[in-house]
Order: sequence, then structure tokens, then C-alpha cells
Amino acid sequence: MTSLSAYLSHMLRAEWIRSFFLVKTKPLTKPAYFMDYPIDTGKRCTHCFSCMMICPVPDAISVLMVGETEGEDIWKPVLYQGHCIRCGLCVEICPERVLASGDIIERVRQDSTYMQSTFHILVNEGKCAGCGTCSIACPVNKEIDPILASKGTTTSDEVIMRVKAGVMRVLHEEKCTGCKTCVLHCSYQAMDVARVIECLQYESDDETSATNEGG
Amino acid sequence: MSLLQKLKNSVRKRSIHVSFVDTASCNGCDIEILACLAPRYDLEQYGIYVHNNPRDADVLLVVGAVTEQWIDKLPMLWDKIPEPKVAIAIGNCAISGCVFHRPGSYTDPPVSKHIPVALSIPGCPPRPDEIIQAILAVAPIAFKDYEKKL
Ligand code: SF4
Ligand code: SF4
Ligand code: SF4
Ligand code: SF4
Repeated sequence: MTSLSAYLSHMLRAEWIRSFFLVKTKPLTKPAYFMDYPIDTGKRCTHCFSCMMICPVPDAISVLMVGETEGEDIWKPVLYQGHCIRCGLCVEICPERVLASGDIIERVRQDSTYMQSTFHILVNEGKCAGCGTCSIACPVNKEIDPILASKGTTTSDEVIMRVKAGVMRVLHEEKCTGCKTCVLHCSYQAMDVARVIECLQYESDDETSATNEGG
Repeated sequence: MSLLQKLKNSVRKRSIHVSFVDTASCNGCDIEILACLAPRYDLEQYGIYVHNNPRDADVLLVVGAVTEQWIDKLPMLWDKIPEPKVAIAIGNCAISGCVFHRPGSYTDPPVSKHIPVALSIPGCPPRPDEIIQAILAVAPIAFKDYEKKL
């Protein structure tokens, strides 16, 4: 009986009940500089695929055509949570500032940094079967030659790569945006795209162009 | 609902016992869980208590992309937890495999393939406040009126 009353007198103290049901610290918040999932600023996406190119994670971001207004296609970058690691590289590289996260854009402007990229398409001739899947999958090819997009064959020499006389030929490496869609779709693992990114800083007398670029 | 039942539910909300398992992560999520225990976030003030033994826990926090060695051990560990129980997948590895989910990798994500997962917390890693908020959100729903569900 004494133990029960001791128990009750201990447990029914207002202080104990308060500390049991209430939290001591302030509500949890994220600091303003925290780089959360990139959000869409509503600016116009030019579907350059730079964000897809720089993303280090498979399937974290896709640039999709989501609609049409006045005969013009609307493109949007779509992010997949559970894949995206919130590294912010897509925010930093987007030339149109479509994406935003934390204070990344502000810092890029402050430091006048920019990224420059070149891409090299490598086809392993020993493995390549000349099936042409890569040239059909390539989103840039589809845009250059709409017939390729609808029919799957092309005779245009303006495309990045296509099968010529049974052999895969890379014709315009410089048009590649480095999205790696072709690599993903090659059934023979015959293709690779080397992406070379340089992070550069404008010279201080170059400041005006930096401000324009960051705008 | 009787007054006793209401009291039981509100006490349960403040008495959540978690255990956590790392099925091969980079350690990032583990560090964030550790940060929850540290004074800055002070997990116990929310009524969340950490146990080393899954037999003492109600909530299993799973981290990592599930390597081959974990494929049979993770369900075994899940079976050891007494009912009522929920599993929470923490981080991208547990949800999608993220950077480890590539052809030729020795992982078998996601965690939900191996045990039932009630909630996923995306992030690489998720912040401690995201982890705490997720546990606080799922536990009251999972354990509410548990004896009536039997
Ligand atoms: S980098 Fe920017 S403009 Fe280019 S596709 Fe991505 S979101 Fe669109
Ligand atoms: S933040 Fe990083 S991981 Fe996420 S979509 Fe952008 S580039 Fe990919
Ligand atoms: S998809 Fe692969 S195998 Fe087919 S043509 Fe392209 S590189 Fe060759
Ligand atoms: S990476 Fe491949 S699919 Fe993407 S633009 Fe370059 S050639 Fe086309």
C-alpha cells in the first residue's frame, strides 16, 4: 500500500506529467541555408538537359514535356525523392535558373562561378551490334529529326549518331548534352558517354558578364 | 471511446521504443540518427527511446541498400520484434538503392522488398528533424487502439 501511494505521489506530480507530455526545446525547423529538394521557380525550361547530365544519381531527375501553350511545348524538370541526394548540382548548372534550393544561386552569383562541359561518345566496336537503339533513344536526335522520333529511322546527317552501312557512326559529338539516355538503352553495354565538367570562375575584370550570366 | 482508452493512447504517443539496423549504408544516415540522440535534438524529450535489442522495440529504423548478407537476416530480425510493430526506411538507399543501385552491384534494394515498410524518409541523408517528425507521425497511428485490432 505504501509503495502504491509512493508511486502515485511520484507520478501525479504536475512537473512529472508536464515533462512526460511536453517537449522542452523549440519546434524543429530547418535553417534558411539548408539545401532542400530543388524547387521549380516557374522560369521557362529550355530543355537543355544540363540538369540530367550533371546529376550523379540514376533516375533522380528527368526533363519532361508536360504540356503545350500557343503551339510551344512546356518542359519541366521533375525530381524524384528517394533518388535525389540534394547535392544541388542541377540548381548550380541550370542556365535558366529554373531550379532553386537554399542559397545556391546567391552563392554562385557572389563567387561568379560557372560550369563548362564537353562530352565524348565512345562506342565499343567489338560489342556494338549496330541496332541503332541509342540513336532512337537520344532526346537530341529526336528533336533534330522528327521522323526519327515517330518512325525510328533517319537519313539525316544532322543527328548526333546513327547507323550507316550497318555500323554505328558518331557524326556530331558536339551536339550531345550528356544526358546518358543512349547508355541506359544500349542492350549490349557498348556505349559510354564521358562527361568532362570544369568549374570555372570569372576573372574580376570580367565581372559584368558574370552578373549577366547569373541573372 | 472510454477515458481509459484515451489515456492509454496519449501515453503510447509519448512512449515509442525504437531500434535501428544498418543493412549497408555509407554511414551518413547512421550519423543523422546519432545526432537525434545528442543534446541538440534530444530524442527522449519526445518520448522516443532507443534500444539495442529489437525484441525491446516497437519501431525498426532501417538504413542501407540491403547487401546479399542481409537478405535473409533482415526478415529474421523483423520477426523478432513483438507486435505491434512498424518499420521505417530511412534514406535513399533503403528506398531506392540510390547510387548503389547499378548493374553489377551487390545490393538488393529497396527494403520494402524484404519487410513491410510503413513509412519512408527520403534524403541522403535525411535531417534529424525529418527523422524525428516521421517517427512522431507514424507511431501514434500505428499503435492507436492496438488491443482492439487484435
Ligand atoms: S538545366 Fe534548366 S533549362 Fe536545362 S533542362 Fe534542366 S531545368 Fe531545363
Ligand atoms: S539535387 Fe543533385 S541528386 Fe538531386 S536531382 Fe539535382 S543533381 Fe540530381
Ligand atoms: S544501342 Fe548499343 S549496340 Fe545498338 S547501335 Fe547503339 S551502341 Fe551499338
Ligand atoms: S548522352 Fe547520348 S542520348 Fe544524351 S544527348 Fe548525348 S548522344 Fe544523345
